[in-house]
This record gives sequence, C-alpha cells and structure tokens, in this order.
Amino acid sequence: MDDQGCPRCKTTKYRNPSLKLMVNVCGHTLCENCVEMLFARGSGNCVQCDTPLRKSNFRVQLFEDPAVDKEVEIRKKVLKIYNKRDFDFPSLREYNDYLEQLEDTVYNLTNNIDVENTKLQMEQYQKENRDLIQKNKVKLTREQEEVEELILLEQQGNEQRRLDLLQEEQRQLQAKRKNKQALLDELEQSQLPATILLAQHKVRAAKLETQIEQQKQAVKPTSLFSTGIHMHQTVSLQPPPKIEEVLYHYKPLQVVTYGPPVPELEQLGRLGYLNHVRAAMPQDTAGGYTSALACHRAIQDAFSGLFPLKR
Amino acid sequence: MLNIEGLLVHFPYDYIYPEQYSYMLELKRTLDAKGHGVLEMPSGTGKTISLLSLIVAYQKVFPLEVSKLIYCSRTVPEIEKVVEELRKLMEYYSKQTGESNNFLALALSSRKNLCIHPELMHANIVVYSYHYLLDPKIADLVSKELTKKSVVVFDEAHNIDNVCIDSMSVNISRRTLDRCQTNVETLQNTIQKIKETDATKLKMEYRRLVEGLKEANVARETDVYLSNPVLPDEILQEAVPGTIRTAEHFVGFLKRFLEYLKSRLRVHHVVQESTPQFLKDIFDKVCIDRKPLRFCAERLRSLLRTLEIADIADFSAVTLISNFATLVSTYSQGFTIIIEPFEDRTPTIANPVLHFSCMDPSIAIKPVFQRFQSVIITSGTLSPLDIYPRILDFRPVTMASFTMTLARTCLCPLIVGRGNDQVALSSKFETREDFAVIRNYGSLLQEMSAIVPDGIVAFFTSYMYMENIVAAWYEQGILENIQRNKLIFIETPDAAETSMALEKYQEACENGRGAILLSVARGKVSEGIDFVHHFGRAVIMFGVPYVYTQSRILKARLEYLRDQFQIRENDFLTFDAMRHAAQCVGRVIRGKTDYGLMIFADKRYARADKRGKLPRWIQEHISDGSLNLTVDEAVQLSKHFLRQMAQPFRQEDQLGLSLLTLEQLESEEMLKKISQIAHQT
Repeated sequence: MDDQGCPRCKTTKYRNPSLKLMVNVCGHTLCENCVEMLFARGSGNCVQCDTPLRKSNFRVQLFEDPAVDKEVEIRKKVLKIYNKRDFDFPSLREYNDYLEQLEDTVYNLTNNIDVENTKLQMEQYQKENRDLIQKNKVKLTREQEEVEELILLEQQGNEQRRLDLLQEEQRQLQAKRKNKQALLDELEQSQLPATILLAQHKVRAAKLETQIEQQKQAVKPTSLFSTGIHMHQTVSLQPPPKIEEVLYHYKPLQVVTYGPPVPELEQLGRLGYLNHVRAAMPQDTAGGYTSALACHRAIQDAFSGLFPLKR
Repeated sequence: MLNIEGLLVHFPYDYIYPEQYSYMLELKRTLDAKGHGVLEMPSGTGKTISLLSLIVAYQKVFPLEVSKLIYCSRTVPEIEKVVEELRKLMEYYSKQTGESNNFLALALSSRKNLCIHPELMHANIVVYSYHYLLDPKIADLVSKELTKKSVVVFDEAHNIDNVCIDSMSVNISRRTLDRCQTNVETLQNTIQKIKETDATKLKMEYRRLVEGLKEANVARETDVYLSNPVLPDEILQEAVPGTIRTAEHFVGFLKRFLEYLKSRLRVHHVVQESTPQFLKDIFDKVCIDRKPLRFCAERLRSLLRTLEIADIADFSAVTLISNFATLVSTYSQGFTIIIEPFEDRTPTIANPVLHFSCMDPSIAIKPVFQRFQSVIITSGTLSPLDIYPRILDFRPVTMASFTMTLARTCLCPLIVGRGNDQVALSSKFETREDFAVIRNYGSLLQEMSAIVPDGIVAFFTSYMYMENIVAAWYEQGILENIQRNKLIFIETPDAAETSMALEKYQEACENGRGAILLSVARGKVSEGIDFVHHFGRAVIMFGVPYVYTQSRILKARLEYLRDQFQIRENDFLTFDAMRHAAQCVGRVIRGKTDYGLMIFADKRYARADKRGKLPRWIQEHISDGSLNLTVDEAVQLSKHFLRQMAQPFRQEDQLGLSLLTLEQLESEEMLKKISQIAHQT
C-alpha cells in the first residue's frame, strides 16, 4: 500500500509521508491534495473514467485495491435496504436464494452491469418491504447478536476473574500476617520454651501453604443447581408432618339491600333484563365474557344504591 | 508365551523385563475397561514390543472388541523401528502357531502413499504419524474410515499438546497474502476461461450447492467427522449459504477477506484480540458474516475440484487463508489472535505477522478421545502424570508410572548447584552474563572431559545462550583445555551442518579419541537422536530449559490455562522445562546394560517443585546427598560410578532380577514384586 502513488501527481508515501489516498464511487483513487485542487468547486469529473463525481463522496482508502473499497461502500448501502433475516423466511433454501439475490445486486452495481435495472429492482423492493426494513434496521442480525453476546461474556468473565484473584491474594496475605502475629503473641505470653513454639509455628505455616496450594489447584465446583437448590442438600424422604385444622366452609357473600333482592345471574335472561343490553361479540365471548355479567354488575350497583324512605 | 490375567500373549524374545510384564498388565486392564490410559515407561525398556505383542494378542482373542490398532509415532525413523518389531512379532507368531497370519499392517509415511482408503478399511494395524489423526485438515482425508472399536496408541507423546496446538494454529505473513492474491487472480481468470469454453461444470456445481447436496465421497456413515469437532451435526449438514454459491461471488468474497487481512497487517503496534472481536471487526469493515466464513474451506475445495486444477500445491496460500477463515469462525473460545508488526528481537525490520494461535490443545484431540474406544498415551517422560488429563481434557481409567528394575544401578543423576568457589550455578536470566558462573560451567565441562570415557553430550537452554557461553569460554582459554581431552562438536540451526557434526562425533567416539557434542535442549538432537553405550556416557544439562517467556503467544496461552484449567503459570512453565530436561537426559540410556551419568548443572534442580517433576525412574536414583554438589564433589562421585560401571557385567548377573525367563516370571514372589512396580497416580 505504501508503494502506491496518486495517479495524477505521482507522489508516494516516500516523498510525502502524510499522503492520504481517497476513493470515490467510480472506484478510482486520488490523493488528498489532488482532490482539493480538482474538486474545489465541489463537483467535477473523474480523472481516469470521466464520470461526474462529488467531492463529498470521497472517502479515505482503507484497502489496497480501490475496487474493494468501492464494493464495500455499495454493499453497505445495499445492506441497509436488503436487511431481512433468516427467520423472516419459511425455509433455509429461500433465505439462501435471497442472499444470492443480494450478491447479484452488489455485483451488478460494482461492475456497472445493468445498473438501471438493478436500481429499479432495489427501489421496488424498498417500496414493498418498507415496514420490515424499518423494523430490522433497529436490530442486528442474529449472527451479530451472538458475537456481541460472546464479547460481553468474555469481558464479564475477565473482570470476574481479576476480582477473584485480587480477593484471593488479599485473603492469603491476611492469613499469613495473622499467623505471624499469633506467633509473636505466643512468644510473649506462653510458658513453653521458644523452640517448641517455633516448631508449632512452622507446622502451622506449612499447613497454611498446603491449604493455599490446594485451593489454587482445586477447581471451584458449583454448589447450586440451576434451580437454586443446593447440590448437597439431602432430600428427606419422610412425608411432611400432618397438621390438623378446622375444615373451612364456604359461605357465599350476603349483600343486604333495602328493597327487593338482586336477581341471580342465571335468571337475568329469563326476566328480560338482557333485552336492552348489547349482546357480546364473538371476540368477547372467547375470553369467557357474557353480557349477563355486565348486566348483573349494573343491577347490583343499582340495587345497592337504594335507601330506605324516611317515614 | 505369557499368561497375562488369562490372556495368552506371544512374546518374541526369550527373556522379559519385569516392568515389561507390568506394563502389559496395565495395558490389558485399560483395554478391558474400554477406557483411556496414560502410561510412563522408561526409555530403552522395550516399550514398543510390549505394546505390540499385547494388543495383537488381544485382537486375536477378542476380534470384535478391538478391530484395529492405530499406532501413531512422531518421526519416520520411529515408524520404521515399529515396523521392524512388528515384522519380528509376526514371524514369531507364524513359527509358533504354524499357520500363516492373515493380519494386515499398513505403514503410512509419505505423501505418495495417501490414496489408500480401501486398504485402510481392511488393515488390522495402521502405523503413521500423529498429524494424520490430529491435524483437522489431514485427518478428514486419511482417518475417516477408522471404526470406533479401535485402539489408538500415541508413542513418545510427551509433546502431544504442542503438536495439537501447532496443528490448529495459523501464521499469516505479508508474503502469504501476496501469494494468495496471485492465487485468487488465477482463480478468477480460470473461471472466466471456463465460462467461455464449457460452462456446464460450473452450472452443475451451482445446482448441487443450491440443493445442499454434499459430494458423494464426503457422505459418511454414522460416525462423526474428525475435522469439525465443535459443530453439531445439523450445522455440518447445512447447505452452503447463498452468499458464496456462485463462483464469481465466492472469488469476490475471497478478495474482500484478503484485503481486510492486508489492512490488519498494516498496524504499527501489537494487537491482541479474541475471536469474537475479530469477527465483529470483519463485519464492520467489509460486511462479511460469520456463516459464509465457516464454509470457506469447503467451498474452495469444491471450486478447485470443479475447475479441475491439477496442481493443488500452487494454491497452498489461498488454502491456508480459507482454512484460517473456517477456524476463526468456528471456534469462539480457546484461540487468540496476535498481530505483531515486527519480531521482538528485531524491532527495526518490518515483518508484520498475524498469529492465530490455539491455546487449548484439547480442541484438536477431543474428537480422537470421543471417537475411539481406547486411547493410550505413552512415553518415557510424562511426569507429572496428572497434568496431561487436565490440559487434554479427558478422563483416563489408568495413570501409571513404571520404574526400571535394575540389577546394578546404571544411572547416576547428580545435581551440581555450586562451583568450587561456592558461586551458585544457574542459567537464570540475571546470571547469564556473570563471569564466575560461566567460568564454573567451563570448569565442570573440563573436569568431566578428563574423567568420562568416549562421548559426552551437553545441552544448553538456547542457541544464543550456547553461543555466548562458548565465546566466553574461548576467551577464558577453557576451550583449549577441553580440546586437549576431547574434540568438540556444536549443533547449529542448520540441519546439514548438524548431521555432519553428529556423524563426526560418532566417528570420534568409535575410534577412541572421544568427543563432546554441544547442543540445544529443544533442538533436533534432543528430540530424535539416541546416544547408546559409548556414544553417550555422560549428559550435562546446563541450566533449566525454559522456553522464551516474553513471547506474547506464550503469555496468552498461560493466561488461558490459568483461567480454564486452574494451572498456575509457574507450574506449567516448570513442567514444560522439566519434560524437556528429562527428554534430553533420557537420551543416554537405551537398555539395561547401558549406563550413563546425568548431571543437572543448575541449583534450581534441587528444589522440590522441579525435582518432583522428573520421571519416577530418574527421581528414585537421586539421593539427598547428591542434591547440591560442587564441581569437585560431582567429579569424585562420577569417578567412582564410572569405575564401578566399567566392571564386566554379564547377562547372567541380570537374570532373576531385572531380566526374567518364563519360569522365573511365573513364580509367586516375582509376580508380587511386579505388582509393586507400577506406581498408580
């Protein structure tokens, strides 16, 4: 890439280290300075292929082959429109056919084959699938989601491990310090000769070392099942203890009304209350609703609002 | 004819070592349990023939349980040795049973012998190199038809984790990418030409890809693919995605991927990434999705076949890139990508390389453990045994380490930790330039050259270290003194020079002039050459052969091991260094009548964590008194040992102790002694 030069002024990176090559929609390169000079007015024609170009369409070249830059640009634009995902299709075969169609579109646009027709097809597709495109614009494709998830998991894992390690080290330091302190205290207070105390201290220190070693070697086993039950919890096979209590009897609610009693739900139809009530639509009855329910409720309200006359 | 727990085994020699019997016993138990095993048996004790005779006997008695033996070895000379032993065994069988053998054994050694699938199916014994089973690119082609009821033996398997890692790692340099560019252009031109002349082939391929049909010879039976261990069946059987169905689209896809890699190689500082991050970046920069990447290798193979390209070798660069694409999109864990703009040691030379390195050796070997009923990992230096099941992620039913039964102690390991001036000897980085250490090492070699007959082999930790020390010795005049006693030969990175040096070294040892061979612990000499009898009477290990610890790939691997397997970095580095040291030192003993001095010239060997990682058959001869010797003390002990060893030692002296006849084997007390040889872990 560093050997490439601008086709117009022939400067290379060797002569001008800050040289930047730019690519436009026709796939030809120009260095930044030439772009400034030729497109000072904002638009002009390409030096090599004479297509009308705009200055704003120039992008820094990322790849050695400018054709690839051009293709990637076109691909990004096409992908914005053709962004259906694999579960938008009934079968894998159709999804693959759709992908192939996408490739054909990009191929035609890049190699200037049948450009008019392809553009028309794209517009038509855009018109037909406007809603789907809008919806899918927001979400990433499933593959990208998987990849993002993996990255997130990794980062979390790393953070967790780092913290665990730090905590472990702290704990070990603490344990060692405590051990030393214990020795000093014992030397101060105990009646036993110093050699015995030192021997004891050595034994303790060795035990601590092996403990640390074992901890490091031991893989941390999980102690919980995914449902939250502890793994070593013994399940008792005895039946739960029997508790005797008073049997509950259901007593229906009694509503006291000053006046005639509220008719039953089942009698409403017969008594003619439902004649002026809107019948339930099929959509409503699906959920279990009947017009009698609403009517009964209204009647209950009405009857409860009766007051005794002051005599 | 031996009886091993009820199994009748034909053993083609008149005498047998007790540890061979013990080894066969353990092996039989492993096969009975239909599980995997890790067995460490000292070098030079007839491991190969014990393995072969037991497994062949097992095959004959239980042909349905074990239908095939797959013997994997590292180098071609080793494969030849195995074939020799097998031939001897088969002759013995036909002599004993009087009937001709209908056993078919097949040895694969070179690329010319690859297309032999039908023969593989009928063979009872197959002998080839590790790579045919472990490298996913090759395993697919060669080892596809191997049935489940086979026994796989990995011999000299102490380095198997490195083999697994190398088989799944890819290094991409700028040159590879340039060659790949040429390949892709050739592909494009060929496609263009074919379209003009005969487009039917391309059309047929296209139709086949649309239907999702796989090639006829790629269809498999009920067994799982060896080459794609991570993906479940449904994904493997999926049709190639529509993005790369037609040949032109695929070539455009390759071009974009190639350009992306080129742009990544233009970094000015080191970059380390995980696979998901890399994939995300690919999508952001060139809109390449993960799924078509996964099918890249398969699609390329199909294209090359359709275009009827005769010379596949020309397309090695694009094949490498497509393999890399498949690997990077398949595995999300266990790999890391490191991009270095230059090598650490040459910071001024621009040499950008992308290292896609595998950090988890279990990925490559997992399909082998899952697919085959019994896998045996065996070598002379597998200590500590429990590390291998951890890093290769398998559960063995047997883990045993065998010692050598010796009529006379024929090895003398000494740890020299100090010079005569009490300066501590070490190859630690801080003390490498220390004048006193270098002088002491020189005096050690000088004294040894005066008392040890015939050949001495000396191992250094690295080429650079060796060159530094030898230059310093030259200035100090030590080389001159040594040359008065023996000739000096040096191993170099060049293969031709080294074989010449080796040849002359052997000549010097033969005719009595005596010679010293200075070589490197991870070089060709330490891996493959045996120094039997007078070719190696003493081996000196200068320092502890740690690998270059500043390499980023190594650091990433250590971190991964710590996180996944809870193996500490220090433990792993020590384990790796000690297994190389043990390998080097084990070169000098090849049989029970052979004897040798083993000198570990570094004070760190005396520490328990390093000493404990030596194989058991070396450890048990290290006495507490030989832990921190000075050069003079070591010389005294060596003189005594060598004089003892030089006394005549006949085979009859060994009989009954370390060499048994059939009757002696079957006596009660011998069987009891044998059961104590195997040390279970």
